[in-house]
Amino acid sequence: MKIHFQQALRALILLAFCGLIFQLHYTGDITKYINPKYVRLSQSASILFLFLFFIQITRIWTSTKEEVDHEHHHGEDCCHHDDHNCSHHHDHGDTPFTGKKLLSYSIILFPLLTGFLLPAKTLDASIAEKKGGLAILGNQKKEVNTSAGSEQSDFDLEDYSFEEELEEAEELEHDLSVNEEVEEISNEEFEQLKKDLYSSPAIKMDDKVFSLYYEEIGKDIDKFIGREIEFQGFIYKEEGLASNQLVISRFLITHCVADASMIGFLSEMEEAPKLYDNMWVKVSGVIDKAVYNGTELPLIKIKDWKEIEEPFIPYLYPLTIKIL
Amino acid sequence: MNRVFRSHIIDITGIILIAILVYLISFSSGLGVSFDIPPSLLNLNVIFISILIEALPFVLIGVLIAGFIQIFITEDHIKRWIPKNRTAAVVMSCVAGALFPACECGIVPIIRRLMSKGVPVYAAIGFMLTGPLINPIVIASTYMAFGNDFEIAGLRMGLGFLIAIIVAFSVSIFFKSGQLKKTLHLPHSSENNRSFLDRIWSMLTHSIDEFFDMAKYLIIGALLASIVQVYMPAKTFLQNADNPVVSLLIMMGFAYILSLCSEADAFIGASFSSIFPKSSVLGFLIFGPMIDFKNTIMMLSVFRMKFVLGVLALTASVVFFTLLLVQNFI
Repeated sequence: MKIHFQQALRALILLAFCGLIFQLHYTGDITKYINPKYVRLSQSASILFLFLFFIQITRIWTSTKEEVDHEHHHGEDCCHHDDHNCSHHHDHGDTPFTGKKLLSYSIILFPLLTGFLLPAKTLDASIAEKKGGLAILGNQKKEVNTSAGSEQSDFDLEDYSFEEELEEAEELEHDLSVNEEVEEISNEEFEQLKKDLYSSPAIKMDDKVFSLYYEEIGKDIDKFIGREIEFQGFIYKEEGLASNQLVISRFLITHCVADASMIGFLSEMEEAPKLYDNMWVKVSGVIDKAVYNGTELPLIKIKDWKEIEEPFIPYLYPLTIKIL
Repeated sequence: MNRVFRSHIIDITGIILIAILVYLISFSSGLGVSFDIPPSLLNLNVIFISILIEALPFVLIGVLIAGFIQIFITEDHIKRWIPKNRTAAVVMSCVAGALFPACECGIVPIIRRLMSKGVPVYAAIGFMLTGPLINPIVIASTYMAFGNDFEIAGLRMGLGFLIAIIVAFSVSIFFKSGQLKKTLHLPHSSENNRSFLDRIWSMLTHSIDEFFDMAKYLIIGALLASIVQVYMPAKTFLQNADNPVVSLLIMMGFAYILSLCSEADAFIGASFSSIFPKSSVLGFLIFGPMIDFKNTIMMLSVFRMKFVLGVLALTASVVFFTLLLVQNFI
């Protein structure tokens, strides 16, 4: 019997990836990383890692007889690792441990360490600035804010013939207490929501409709001037704004926080100098219009505001409309 | 006796590894926030991990398919499709690449074996360009990354295919055969009649090896992409984003340096879509899978330096000019 420490290390890494994803789902922190619509996909990744771990542990111990067999095989399949002459020159984890390998294992261990050690943080005003801040709000081309999802919005894994793992994934899903699926709405509901925007006495921007209403208001500001509006968001101040101005913004996550785009309203209030970056507020006010860098923007004259706690799910997700 | 002993020892090893991991996790949560980390680093970490979490399911599917191909599909299956006629061969190789789900990390060894068995160099290049770009996983991930919108995914495949055909044709005109670094002697793979279960097993172990080969490139790519997001102000880009030529060059340069796996780069491409025009994002999505930094290094192990640089320049310019031409229509 012979033990292969590299194979053991690989098994540990596979298990750690499984553990990392599982932990994020278990604590609900996963919503700080990805749109909840895609949780199933990452859960199946976790299951797959576990599955590969069980395959991998069988490679840790080899009997001496098998070892000879294995070598023989390699000769046949032309796997001369060093002169790169073989059909596939992966590293099978059998070759001696070198400095180069140490480097590549450290690279793979790096996200595991930071993933476990560092807390999940909500994107803040500094990212808003890096994303271009107000310039983005003004420049923003019409974005695809409503994504059309068919019945099976998660990727159809069955095509790749691992039904077994998929079944396991489904079983486990019931146990995992991740917040409920993002609801899909029908086309009628969608039209109804749009109608409400025009007819209701005050525009209430809750998380579900924020991106939709934001887009609608941006399309034709003049129609909305003078309307009452209520919403919440975090404070973001930018250089060049008047002392009574600030931006109350949110991040819209299409898929994962890497694709976060900032949406928000330029707002005017007397107490603005007292408010600081990243402070969450709930405000109500009246819609007006402003011009920034040559583009028209909605401007909210704040009448009333109060400080609130950061919501458990701070991000917005695009509405998903059922086609079928 | 020995067998029983071995299965026990495997069980025990598994349990020990799980115990080590649980210990490390509980240790880490106790350690938690005891030291101060600047918020920008935490932002960086969140973006970095989120890219990985999004990409991993696709990478896993990719390595499983790669493992499958390694074990179940022989080169003869593909070679049979390549006709003698040059034009037909170029088109067929691109189609074969489109049907063959590979990743750019895995495609170089495959074309090396194909060429050693007599596949002409232009056909191999056509195959290499479409293989990683056009396949079900890339289509699915692009579709999802761009908010379940088929437009970008469709353009990526369509334009990519066109570009691959142009490049492969140009290679057939400009380069003679015999671009291989040295004569490769590859014995034919002896598909010994192993049992089906055995082959499934080696497919899975191959997949694991493939995962470890690819994970490091993915991790470096995700890290660089998140550093760009957190530390590089978009304003410097925005000033250039108006200029279609410069922004296209910036995005193609990104795609080359980041060397992302084609199964996952759609998510990173999508993150730039609020800053850059559509044609530049397409440049990122099409050029990246065809040729990138790590792929160039790998090609140097097969081809002569001059040929590799030639193909690189050719591909880059075809992608660049095609996108400049079509950007008014998309």
